[in-house]
Amino acid sequence: MLYWQVLINGVLLGGLYACAAIGFSVIWGVMNLINLAHGSMIILGAYITYVINSATGLDPFLTIPISGAALFLLGFMVQKYLINHVIEGSVFMTLILTFGLDLLLVNMTLLLFTADFRSITPSYAGLGWEIGTIRVPYTRLGVFFFALALTLILSLLMNRTKLGNAIKATSFDKDAAGLVGVNVFQVYAITFGLGAAMAGMAGSLISVLHSFSPVLGGTFTMKAFVIVVLGGLGSVPGAIVGGLILGITENFASVLLEAGYKDAISFILLVAILVLRPRGILGKQFFAEV
Amino acid sequence: MKKIATVLVCVAVGVFLVWCPYLVSFYWLRILTNIFMFAILAQAINIIAGYVGYPAFGNVVFFGLGAYSTGILMVKFQTTFFTSVLVGMAICVLFTLLFGVPVLRLKGHYFAIATLGLNEATRAIVDNLSGLTGGGMGLSLPLRAGDIGANARYFYFVFYGTMLLSILVTYLLSRSRFGYACRSIRSDEEAAEGMGINTTKYKTLAWMISAVLTGIAGSGYAYWMSYIEPGVVFDMTIAIKSFVMFLLGGPATVLGPIVGAFFVEAVSTLTWSHLLNYHTGTLGAIIILVVIFMPQGFISFIRQGFSFSTFVKKGKKKFSGREKRIEMA
Repeated sequence: MLYWQVLINGVLLGGLYACAAIGFSVIWGVMNLINLAHGSMIILGAYITYVINSATGLDPFLTIPISGAALFLLGFMVQKYLINHVIEGSVFMTLILTFGLDLLLVNMTLLLFTADFRSITPSYAGLGWEIGTIRVPYTRLGVFFFALALTLILSLLMNRTKLGNAIKATSFDKDAAGLVGVNVFQVYAITFGLGAAMAGMAGSLISVLHSFSPVLGGTFTMKAFVIVVLGGLGSVPGAIVGGLILGITENFASVLLEAGYKDAISFILLVAILVLRPRGILGKQFFAEV
Repeated sequence: MKKIATVLVCVAVGVFLVWCPYLVSFYWLRILTNIFMFAILAQAINIIAGYVGYPAFGNVVFFGLGAYSTGILMVKFQTTFFTSVLVGMAICVLFTLLFGVPVLRLKGHYFAIATLGLNEATRAIVDNLSGLTGGGMGLSLPLRAGDIGANARYFYFVFYGTMLLSILVTYLLSRSRFGYACRSIRSDEEAAEGMGINTTKYKTLAWMISAVLTGIAGSGYAYWMSYIEPGVVFDMTIAIKSFVMFLLGGPATVLGPIVGAFFVEAVSTLTWSHLLNYHTGTLGAIIILVVIFMPQGFISFIRQGFSFSTFVKKGKKKFSGREKRIEMA
């Protein structure tokens, strides 16, 4: 029975992980850009929810569109006015550009909110479903469904709309996309905005379950790395698979082994997957040259 | 002419730095020592990432391995510092032999993440082997005998010497057959393989050199600080910071990473002492500005006579040609 509980916890956490990593994955897959500020953007989303919730008492789940819109704007501006200038240059210059951005965001959130851990406790936080001895809290269930819904919406956007086609075309061949009339730089800005928006909305979801602090951004960036590599770059199903694997592995590792080995297991898994199947489990080759 | 001037400036700076510990306060001595340490780390990254084109993002793992070799040997086995450095170097070599072949098959971002994964896994394991490593409680090393001034100068020269060694190694590398092999791997690995270069051998060797230099810096750090814990010596921030120094200075140049280290640490120290609360933010803003205005790094900025023309040209350039998507600097 314990193992069922662990499995369910793992799956629920995995859904959240998928949503938290998908933005990172899309930005990387489309622009070959590793956004080291991804974790800080997640944290920023969490703080937006926190501020709105503590000021107006609005339900954390209802703040998702607000944090999404705010982060979209931020991401759009960052790509348009900063990263687009150097995206043509060396891959690793863009990497340290986002590192600089990360330092800036962390410092800003620290000044605004201090390093104290914050958390949001909705009125229904203690309630949950009970089936036999298995317990599923409503908050976790809600976070799981919202995470999947958001990921699905992004997937529909990428696969069913004109914008999605433009983004995909740009990621396959930016020169050809430019020739057929896609404004490549505009698409880049929108893509980064979308990635940031997904990060912000995932942050709102995380704020319901966990306590957070500005300095936790790095952890989330690291997890996004693992998930994207596990599942495969730039693909929505890949992120879901990667998220689920990481969530389930982490939960089982903390039950079966000493809790401290949880991280070791997920990173050993990462290195093993990289060596055995570098494209990731569901990966197709986008920018990634393996 | 230009070459002679460069050599003269380097020698003058080098001699001045030998004289320095007798001129400046302990505060500045400590900052300089720290700069030397980061210069070694940046130079080590330059060897594997700059010359061979493999972005070893998680190179800080060797820093941690060196630090813990020194820590464990000096605390549990009462060896001398020197012995522990040698053992630390040997462990770094073993690590690259063990993981070099599988991990160096990966390229670009994938290699970067694999090394990052190796670092995180090693950190977690060190964290859990608390019998040997002290775990999260950390490990306190014996203090070096002697007064504060003598100790400060001792560590200053340990790191200064290692930095000079790293510069020498890079210089020799850049002029040797080995260096040419490395650069040919960076430009086109398949072609290099086709020309009969044993790419696996050279890649592993280069990573090994980089690992050993990083390991020495780690050992020195452990003895210098006399306290280490996994979260500090396996910290990804160290890796990212030295990567930033390497890139800002100028990849695949002998002195670039050193210049980068001096710049980043100097700015970091100045903002830290004047704008404590805005320290990281200011550093972030400066990094962003440098990347936007000098995307090729300092060395080429200096070589081009301090002009921002590269930036202006870059801004005007439209998409042209089918450049290789993943390419290092």
